[in-house]
Amino acid sequence: MNRRPPPVLRPRGVAALELVLFAAAVIALWCVPVFVKKPYVLHMGVILFLAVIQGQAWNVVGGYAGQYSVGHAAYFGVGAYTTMMLLELHHIAPWWGLGAAIANGVLLSLIIGTITFRLRGPYFVLASISMAEILRYAFLYYKDLTRGAEGFLLSEIPTLHLFGQEFEFVTKRPFYFVTLGLAAITIVANHLVQHSKLGYYFQAIREDQDAASSLGIGLTLYKSVALAISAAFTALSGGIYAMFVKFIAPDLVFGIDVSVQFVLICIIGGIGTIYGPVIGAMVLVPLSEVLRNPRGLVQVGLASPDSSFVQFVEAHLSNAHLLVYGVLVVVVILFAPDGVLGLLRRAGARLRRRREAQGEAGAAGA
Amino acid sequence: MVAFAQSVPGAVLILGGGVPALAGTELGPRMMVFLQSVLSGVLVGGVYALIGIGLTMIFGVMRVTNFAHGELVMLGMYLTWGLFHWLRLDPFLSIVLVAPALFLWGAFLQRAFVNRVLDALPQNQILLTIGLGLVMSNGVMLAFTSDYRILTTSYSSASYDLAGISVSKPLLYAFLVTVAITVLLYGFLLRTDTGQAIRATAQDREAAQLMGINVRWTSMLAFGIGAALAGAAGALISPTYYIFPQVGSAFTLKAFVIVVLGGMGSVVGATLGGVIIGLTESLAAVYIAGGLKDLVVFVLFLALLVFKPSGLLGKTRA
Repeated sequence: MNRRPPPVLRPRGVAALELVLFAAAVIALWCVPVFVKKPYVLHMGVILFLAVIQGQAWNVVGGYAGQYSVGHAAYFGVGAYTTMMLLELHHIAPWWGLGAAIANGVLLSLIIGTITFRLRGPYFVLASISMAEILRYAFLYYKDLTRGAEGFLLSEIPTLHLFGQEFEFVTKRPFYFVTLGLAAITIVANHLVQHSKLGYYFQAIREDQDAASSLGIGLTLYKSVALAISAAFTALSGGIYAMFVKFIAPDLVFGIDVSVQFVLICIIGGIGTIYGPVIGAMVLVPLSEVLRNPRGLVQVGLASPDSSFVQFVEAHLSNAHLLVYGVLVVVVILFAPDGVLGLLRRAGARLRRRREAQGEAGAAGA
Repeated sequence: MVAFAQSVPGAVLILGGGVPALAGTELGPRMMVFLQSVLSGVLVGGVYALIGIGLTMIFGVMRVTNFAHGELVMLGMYLTWGLFHWLRLDPFLSIVLVAPALFLWGAFLQRAFVNRVLDALPQNQILLTIGLGLVMSNGVMLAFTSDYRILTTSYSSASYDLAGISVSKPLLYAFLVTVAITVLLYGFLLRTDTGQAIRATAQDREAAQLMGINVRWTSMLAFGIGAALAGAAGALISPTYYIFPQVGSAFTLKAFVIVVLGGMGSVVGATLGGVIIGLTESLAAVYIAGGLKDLVVFVLFLALLVFKPSGLLGKTRA
């Protein structure tokens, strides 16, 4: 039934090395804005870190607990609208708004969880899609409250006063640091969840719901906990996204393609792994951003404005980056169902086996 | 987070004639509005049923939930539009070409992609078909841009007057063709050996195989027929719907609602489900609000999933 490789028990030394590498990567990324001033690079960074947060968030409920929600746009959209509406209509600063976004996301997850968690397989997937669609139609229809398809345009983010210092959210720089920090926190949180009792419960539910239930694991309770954690981070990313791109509308934040993208980030990297979503985001985000706006490459100096590549992409592909998504999903599902990480792991195992075989052959020859 | 520039508005139905002038009728105006919306609902529901039957056949025979089903409808719409635009072929006549074309395409998709994941996790099957759907809708967008297209025939906005109730001509034709196709399909499934093989495979794949049925070929056939039905439905609604690359996702979801409503795998259930959803939409548009008709359908769907997951006619759940 399940083709996921068995968990690898690793010695302590590896864990310490992993921690050092992780810290080094975060510090290195923290220093990037010091050397690189190009807004396009920072923009790409923010989008990438948001994608990491979203992928990690989906991973908790989809990867560990095995509940393939294709309706996470619901939490993303609610987070985005909560933050945006509090700021635009009530002048509540986004740092409070994000808290409200998380609260709303968790609340929504409890409602959606109660309805959908009694369903399994395709029924659960369909129910999760329906919930996001219901929200999209509701936000489109109740114009008095949500402004409908017109959406919200951000006017101005107030200055943050913290520790006697002022933080202006005008350029992309502050967003870069905030999202990088949050992405790091999300990865650490995911790590903690995976190796806690909670994480083992989730994985037990993923492997066999009925067996987990017979061992006394409350299915609905732990699925709801997984979804609540997931929804909290997704709503947070939604709120930050709204502040960063400065415009939201129902089709933009509640669309089914948003939900599909969260799943994709995990599928491409490797579902149910810590670094899968990171790798998935690193594959998906640059690809879609370049296809959507090849001029960025020109700005960074990677391509000349009149190169045939830029012109071809602009003329033909700028609206069809989803085509590439589609091709990616099909290729990954058919040829690498465990994602890039699974592919690497399998290649590593094959290499090791070959080396062992060679060693044996050498020993026999001698 | 990647900003998706394209918006996916729900399909807008242009009801020919709309609610007619009500003066001078014997029945009260309220009754007339009710009858009018019931009639429109049933006519549209017939076409929905066709889409649902295709999906339910694919699920029944292969236990694969085809999330690219709406995109097959979309391909049918574009093919019909192309035939009309370049060859001036009437949309209702073009079914003769569109349905076989979609049959071949469906069989190809089954052979090349879906067949490889029959034993994979259901989630992976779903993702694969979502991916195929994305490829189709965005491939069409590359070729035809995301502009809305309208197929205007001489009778697009014409209607018959039936005792004060206006009956949209294109919708009526579509309904009649749907009924004909459904009757043919029932006959095929019940009376022919191949039809029996399909039904046997849907009932029990392994037992069917033991009885000497070529299950692989039957699966390909079922997927082909499912795609052909979706394409035919696309052709039938092309005179009344806007045609654009993203129109499919709305149909995919609707088809699922229909199929779950009737019980997964049940052809009779899907027929009934289609009519019920058509009616629900039409009545919700009149009595609640036009903008909320899709929302009502989804709420109904969720309620059904929670309270009667086996569907109206189904007994067991997969």
